Amino acid sequence: MLLQLNNIFKWVNSGGQRIFLLKDINLEVQEGEFISVMGPSGSGKSTLLNVIGMLDGFEEGEYHFLDESVHNLREKHRANLYKEYIGFVFQQYHLLDDLTVQENLEMPLLYKKLKGAERKAKVADMLDRFNIVGKKDLFPAQLSGGQQQLVGIARALISNPKLILADEPTGNLNSKQGEEIMDLFKQLNEEGVTIIQVTHSEKNAAYGSRIINLLDGRMI
Amino acid sequence: MIKHNIIVFFRSIKRSKSSFLINMIGLSTGMACTLLISLWVMDELGVDKFHEKNDRIFQVIEHLNFSDGVQTMIETFGPMAELLVTEFPEVEYASEAIPPSWFGKHNLSTDEKSIKAVGQIVGKDYFNIFSFGLILGNKAQVLKDPNSIVLSKSLAISLFGTTENSIGKAISFEEDKQFMVSGVYEDTPSNSTIQFDFALSSHAYKDLPPWNSLHSWNGSGPQVYVLLKEGTNINAFNEKVDRLRKSTNEKSIRTAVLVPFSKHYLHGTYENGKQVGGRIQYVKLFSIIALIILVIACINFMNLSTARATKRLKEIGVKKAVGANRRIFITQFLGESLLMAFMALIFSVTMVTLFLPQFNVIVGKQLALTFSANLIFIILGITIFTGIIAGSYPAIYLSGFNAITILKGKLDQSLGEIWTRKGLVIIQFSLSIVLIASVLVVYKQMQYVQNQNLGYEQDNIVHFNLEGQIKKQREAFIAELKKLPGIQNASSTTHNMVGHNWSVGLDWEGRDERNIAFQVAGVDYDFIETMDMDIVAGRGFSREFGADSTGLVFNQTAIQTMNIKDPIGKIVRGFYGEGTIIGVVKDFHFKSLHDKVEPLFMTMMPQATKKIMARIEAGMEKEVLAEIQHLYKTFNPSLPFEYEFLDKNFQKLYKSEQRVASLSKYFAGLAVLISCLGLFGLVIFTIERRRKEISIRKVLGQKASQITVMLSSEFAKLVLASAIIALPIAYLLISNWLSSFSYHISLNFWYFLSAGLLAMVIAMLTVGSQTISAANKNPVGGLREE
Repeated sequence: MLLQLNNIFKWVNSGGQRIFLLKDINLEVQEGEFISVMGPSGSGKSTLLNVIGMLDGFEEGEYHFLDESVHNLREKHRANLYKEYIGFVFQQYHLLDDLTVQENLEMPLLYKKLKGAERKAKVADMLDRFNIVGKKDLFPAQLSGGQQQLVGIARALISNPKLILADEPTGNLNSKQGEEIMDLFKQLNEEGVTIIQVTHSEKNAAYGSRIINLLDGRMI
Repeated sequence: MIKHNIIVFFRSIKRSKSSFLINMIGLSTGMACTLLISLWVMDELGVDKFHEKNDRIFQVIEHLNFSDGVQTMIETFGPMAELLVTEFPEVEYASEAIPPSWFGKHNLSTDEKSIKAVGQIVGKDYFNIFSFGLILGNKAQVLKDPNSIVLSKSLAISLFGTTENSIGKAISFEEDKQFMVSGVYEDTPSNSTIQFDFALSSHAYKDLPPWNSLHSWNGSGPQVYVLLKEGTNINAFNEKVDRLRKSTNEKSIRTAVLVPFSKHYLHGTYENGKQVGGRIQYVKLFSIIALIILVIACINFMNLSTARATKRLKEIGVKKAVGANRRIFITQFLGESLLMAFMALIFSVTMVTLFLPQFNVIVGKQLALTFSANLIFIILGITIFTGIIAGSYPAIYLSGFNAITILKGKLDQSLGEIWTRKGLVIIQFSLSIVLIASVLVVYKQMQYVQNQNLGYEQDNIVHFNLEGQIKKQREAFIAELKKLPGIQNASSTTHNMVGHNWSVGLDWEGRDERNIAFQVAGVDYDFIETMDMDIVAGRGFSREFGADSTGLVFNQTAIQTMNIKDPIGKIVRGFYGEGTIIGVVKDFHFKSLHDKVEPLFMTMMPQATKKIMARIEAGMEKEVLAEIQHLYKTFNPSLPFEYEFLDKNFQKLYKSEQRVASLSKYFAGLAVLISCLGLFGLVIFTIERRRKEISIRKVLGQKASQITVMLSSEFAKLVLASAIIALPIAYLLISNWLSSFSYHISLNFWYFLSAGLLAMVIAMLTVGSQTISAANKNPVGGLREE
């Protein structure tokens, strides 16, 4: 088992009222799964993803990741945990505009205190694996959306995470580019990486092994 | 990691060049300004402190107890020096001195050359007290012989071409007395208040008026310097000196006190016998200004970097999502601002190098950017201070955000933050308005001072020394002078009427107990006429009355103070015997307008006069001066002719005011510039924040011009608020400054209004370009970002 959510509640207070973003979420994810989270806008898909990714907290419930009880961890330990095991892929790619492809890939490794030579080797590996060696010195603005997302995925993978969290990874891409990205995810999943994606598209959801439907913060 | 951060830093500069430039200009001008002022302050603090035994050198000053308060003067009596040495074992050396400002310029000549140089008369141990390094000669010996003269290196070189073998050479003084060179010293350093080209022994002037007063206990004497032995308690010693001083003359209203010599330069103002400041006030004022300018520049930096946060925020969000912690950002942002500060340092050092000559002209110094340990310490201090202050806000504030909030773009600027930003701009503009208003008033006052009716016509009066053969044939020379075309009148006097200081006490019938100091001017016939002074009662000096050698002409203030009705014909007794009041002259200014007109009288003293004064016709200066020089040369063929204009002398009285005036002009300009940069940053930030609002308004049909007005008026309100805060402060400061003048302009509402208006116009020009371009942008871009 990779992670387990038990009775997770998340809310915000607005005008004296408690507005629930997540209501009683119970979810167990095994290693090697490929899960698609679906639901209409505002149903809490992204919130759930952020809670799983430990970027966002929750008000009640328990969250176990591997052997750790995330709900009892302090901020610093949580950060170490997700730094180690989780990679993020964003809809808007979120590459840093001032860095080249190569430097964008290298960035997460900077925070893991790897030696320069090691970092170079890993970056070279990744460039090779994704067939973007020729683009390593270009800036994000010089790439197409599909290529940018490719770099985004490569960056998420570079620290060998157990889990990839992707928030509408194809949302800003045309259908052909989207298909390529989804094929890539499938391939990664077959290589053993656990993936949880948020998507609006039935077609993309079909790539996964399991679909979770959310409505108003509830799993249905 | 460092490499990564540096790459990010330089690439972000490349991407946002304009905001980098604003930051750089703001920071480096702020730093350059601080650096210039630091140089000036360091120099001021170091004046007169270069003497090796500085901590043991004291000067005797005297407090005079007049009925209307205590006056302090830095002169005492000549015999004081000898008395101190013989009476007190604590005194190592003491020396009297007729300082260069009093002794003045004199003609020195060898067989080939004739040069005018500034000198002083000093006691034999002068060079034992002060460290004016002797190149030739022996400290203890150079002034032992009354006929010796000690020259500065550059004077020796101009006279002899070299310093070698100059010992023992003869120099003729005023073509009258012969002196032998006994020593040569290094030129006086620029941070010395005592600037002199040569020194004569006090014994040489034992019998020569007016310098013989050097050796008596009467009249205003010379200055006296004392070198105390190590470990002397100055308070206890001062009591002993006072006791001794009183024992020489029990009725004396004077109290002698020893004060540290080098302290005098910065702490030289006494009010009612108490030390109340002096130049140290300017040192403090400018230090504060430097700090304020630096802080304003730092505020700009913070403002601009947080305003650019939208771009940096994404970086923070992404990095946080891949595992960067807060410490990493703190190091990164502080590192960036430190790097910026060091880049600004390079610019500012360049600027300082460029502007230093100009700055030197304004402050009247020879400052140089020499990298001493002290200066490097200060520079590094300023840079690191700037870097840390400027970087602290983004480093601490921006790094605290949550990754998700940032990446989702949910970050709203808090109301508090917006107000802080506005508040900072208000502070900046308030300061600018205060400075603008001050500059306006200072300028007006200086204009008033220059055009003030002094009680006589100060324009077109030229004066020069009565010297050489002219001294011996004074009457003949003046007669010839008057015949020259373009000369309206001419006379001679003991003082040139500017910053005059020779006072005596008088006695007359009906005098009360008060001690009143009267200024004395010794004059020749036609003096009152040449100066164009008004006689309000009686008459001036005239050849037609035989007894004018005992006649006295008083000014109105003197007559009022003396409380004499019908003064003409009254007898007055003074140091010269008895005199008769023959006339009253309308008050005229002989000091700066800071001071009220003091009691003064004029007396006929043709033999003692030292200056020729001549009124020349306006517009003919050049021709007439050539004529005068020609006439001068026929009397004094070997002496160089040097003249001065009276109005120029008067301007010199306001040297420090004029310096403050021109410095504050520059500071005001800088403050306005930096404030505009701050405003510019705020405009960019505000427009960024309101892009969506602007777009929606445009989509709903508001015109670009209306949007421009809407945006601009927000900033106009800030400037208005600044004006409301600044004007009362400016009023208080300015009226305080003006009150230091006994005669000054009255404050007009317009000065303040125009300062506020000027700030408003400058602000609107700064804001305009940005708001207009924002209002004319395609609204689609602003809406799509959501």
